[in-house]
Amino acid sequence: MSASLNPRLLDGIRVLDFSQYVAGAGASRMMAELGAEIIKVEQTPVGDPSRLVPFIKDGRSGFFIQQNRGKQSLGIDLKQPRAKTIIHELVKHCDLVLENFGPGVMEKHGFDYPTLARLNPKLIMVSVSAFGRDSPLSHKTGYDLIAQGFSGYMHMTGPRDGAPHPVGLSFADANAAVHAFAAIGYALYHRECTGAGQYLDLSMIDCMFHLHEISLQAHSVSGGTYVPHRMGSHHELVCPGGAYKGPTGYMVIMALQPQWERVCRALQKPEWLDDPRFATNEARARNQQVLIPLIEAWLATFSRNEEALAVLEEHRVPCAPVLSPVDAVGHDYFVQRGTIRTTHDPVIGDVRVPGFPFKFSAQPDLPDFEAPLFGEHNTAILRRVLGYTDEKIKELAATGVLVSKDR
Amino acid sequence: MMMLDNIRVLDFTQYLAGPTVTRLMAEMGAEIIKIEQGPGGDPCRQLPVSRDGRSGYFVQQNRGKKSLCLNLDKPEAPAIIKELVANVDIVVENFGPGVMQKRGLEYAALAEINPGIIMASVSAFGRNSPLAHKVGYDYIAQAFAGFMHMTGPRDGAPHPVGVGFADGSAGVHAFAGLGYALFHRKRTGHGQYLDISMVDCLFHMHDVNVQGPSITDGKFVPHRMGPHHELIFPAGIFKGPTGYIVVMALQLQWKNLCLALGRPELEHDPRYLDGLSRGQRRDELIPLVEDWMAGFNSNEEVIARLDECRVPCGPVLSPIDALAHPYFIERGTVRTVHDPILGELKLPGFPLRFSAQPEVPELFAPLLGEHNGEVLGQVLGYADERIASLAASGVLIQGVR
Repeated sequence: MSASLNPRLLDGIRVLDFSQYVAGAGASRMMAELGAEIIKVEQTPVGDPSRLVPFIKDGRSGFFIQQNRGKQSLGIDLKQPRAKTIIHELVKHCDLVLENFGPGVMEKHGFDYPTLARLNPKLIMVSVSAFGRDSPLSHKTGYDLIAQGFSGYMHMTGPRDGAPHPVGLSFADANAAVHAFAAIGYALYHRECTGAGQYLDLSMIDCMFHLHEISLQAHSVSGGTYVPHRMGSHHELVCPGGAYKGPTGYMVIMALQPQWERVCRALQKPEWLDDPRFATNEARARNQQVLIPLIEAWLATFSRNEEALAVLEEHRVPCAPVLSPVDAVGHDYFVQRGTIRTTHDPVIGDVRVPGFPFKFSAQPDLPDFEAPLFGEHNTAILRRVLGYTDEKIKELAATGVLVSKDR
Repeated sequence: MMMLDNIRVLDFTQYLAGPTVTRLMAEMGAEIIKIEQGPGGDPCRQLPVSRDGRSGYFVQQNRGKKSLCLNLDKPEAPAIIKELVANVDIVVENFGPGVMQKRGLEYAALAEINPGIIMASVSAFGRNSPLAHKVGYDYIAQAFAGFMHMTGPRDGAPHPVGVGFADGSAGVHAFAGLGYALFHRKRTGHGQYLDISMVDCLFHMHDVNVQGPSITDGKFVPHRMGPHHELIFPAGIFKGPTGYIVVMALQLQWKNLCLALGRPELEHDPRYLDGLSRGQRRDELIPLVEDWMAGFNSNEEVIARLDECRVPCGPVLSPIDALAHPYFIERGTVRTVHDPILGELKLPGFPLRFSAQPEVPELFAPLLGEHNGEVLGQVLGYADERIASLAASGVLIQGVR
């Protein structure tokens, strides 16, 4: 782990991180990039269960590596009474506690907010769960797909007359992580202004639901005549506005009214400008079953998608290729912007992961991080944060309170 | 006491990605001065569905903001904006490429006026990138960031998420970045510039699709899978008696599902021992689950049985189902708000539950230029006569909607 010379936004902030998988661990991943010290509490026997998520190479999970770079691992057996004491002592020296356990787990361990706030009144604590800690469904376990279904996203996604579809990545988890990360920034700011800590109860559902930009208000304003439903691969109110089949794959073309003229010019169809079927966005949307095949017929005259995209771009028609995540490898945009990065893992070497999405001018450089081995930092953490002697730490390891592994 | 008391934002945003940022800040008590460009203001004031000339879309994204509507072609307008810049903490914008520069409002110019200022730009492809010149909307970012490729029927076309998620998520990221920038300024006194791209905000959410191909040396090729995951089972969407149901069980919950199905022997069936082997045989397992579900009268009964057996599950709700659902109501995830023209309407609630700010304020979306006089009077100390003369000469614009 190489230290950066420049100050980072979260220098001096220490997080006691019970989180696992993505919804919690994604939040502390972003805090690590900003320089926070993340103490990842991992329970025996396996630690964060995402260490077992495929794909695995030489005993290391790429999934785990991506979410846990820059964190320090404390491997501990929480069933032992002395473990609880260690955690309580650490809480006194931390700014933030983060967790996304199943219902009731933090309480069971004696790590609920009222208990921890008595130990450290300035503590900020954040819980991330599928259905919230304080809700009629807080007893329910939920994962990404369950949140995608419950929050109305699946209903809105997929073929118009077919089954609802999930988004093929855990974006409900990731979206909750981004919200937790956001809320923590404001809680830190608030504490800096007032000295007060607080508790944050984030639900994956709430974090998804507020991004419905049309469904609720349009239903309300139309007196219930607008009923939101999935639209397939083309928007029903905007045309062109969807995924078009080109000669070598799909691309998105999306033109609002001011850009329609450019579409006609790019496709060399000046007659469309006077065609009543296509004159307004509303008319085009109504006649999209006519217009979409006409545009796809034009696309078919090219030998590659790139050629068609170049013509559209020349005429400033908003468009983009439908990229696979793998297409990002080596792509100018992703490389120059650091949206894809190659990170180093001590066991399996180079691994490509997505980059940090924030470009703060106050912190232009991102640190070079590795993901921890299980319990890798037991000694370092207890010595540095709690001042434990080497003998005491050895004894805790010998009695199985502390655990570590070579993966 | 609100989280963002005394924070003032100069807000040049329009449509969705930018206004999401200041919508969230308004709920936390920040003062948002929305600069609208005459004659029409934020173009999303025209978006359907409207009633009495008032767009529900605009109302949802702009509650709690003050509207200052200016004719930017008048020479007085840029001077007013620069005076405001000197008196705010944050500037947010999501214009097309080059617009802020053209007006002399790029970060370097603003920081000269107000060195502590924090500025955030939200765009599809970033301000500092090889594609900064490109215009982009939500679907375009979804396509470019690999979301569309990963969504839809296995053998069919790529599908967008049917929610403006790329816009909304970029807004949430910018909101997040601003919180850390405020914290940083509180500790150091320094402002800064934040360059948020919709593509970056979506791309880092790939949990498997970037590292997976990397550590398998390209053997894992990410592609869309339809309604069921192919590497684990159960993880997908099942047809229930009255709609769709999501079931997602990890290995330790497989025996719970077998129990629920009344087929305890399946737990140890060698064909179905782990998620991967079940995933490979999902074509036999999906009908087994759906046939079992068909024996119930309603989805609710199926879900109750799965809950009882501790199988993680949930309904596929329409956003409208949320309106009457106890979860959404008790949690404030759906709210009824008031608009001066539309009256009552239902909107999604504020997503963050800060114990330091248990109440969310009652907020109204502004009429065009509704706060012209208030902003210039209270923030810049303009006299009433001066404001009246700016209105008379068409520098300030006001609308009835």
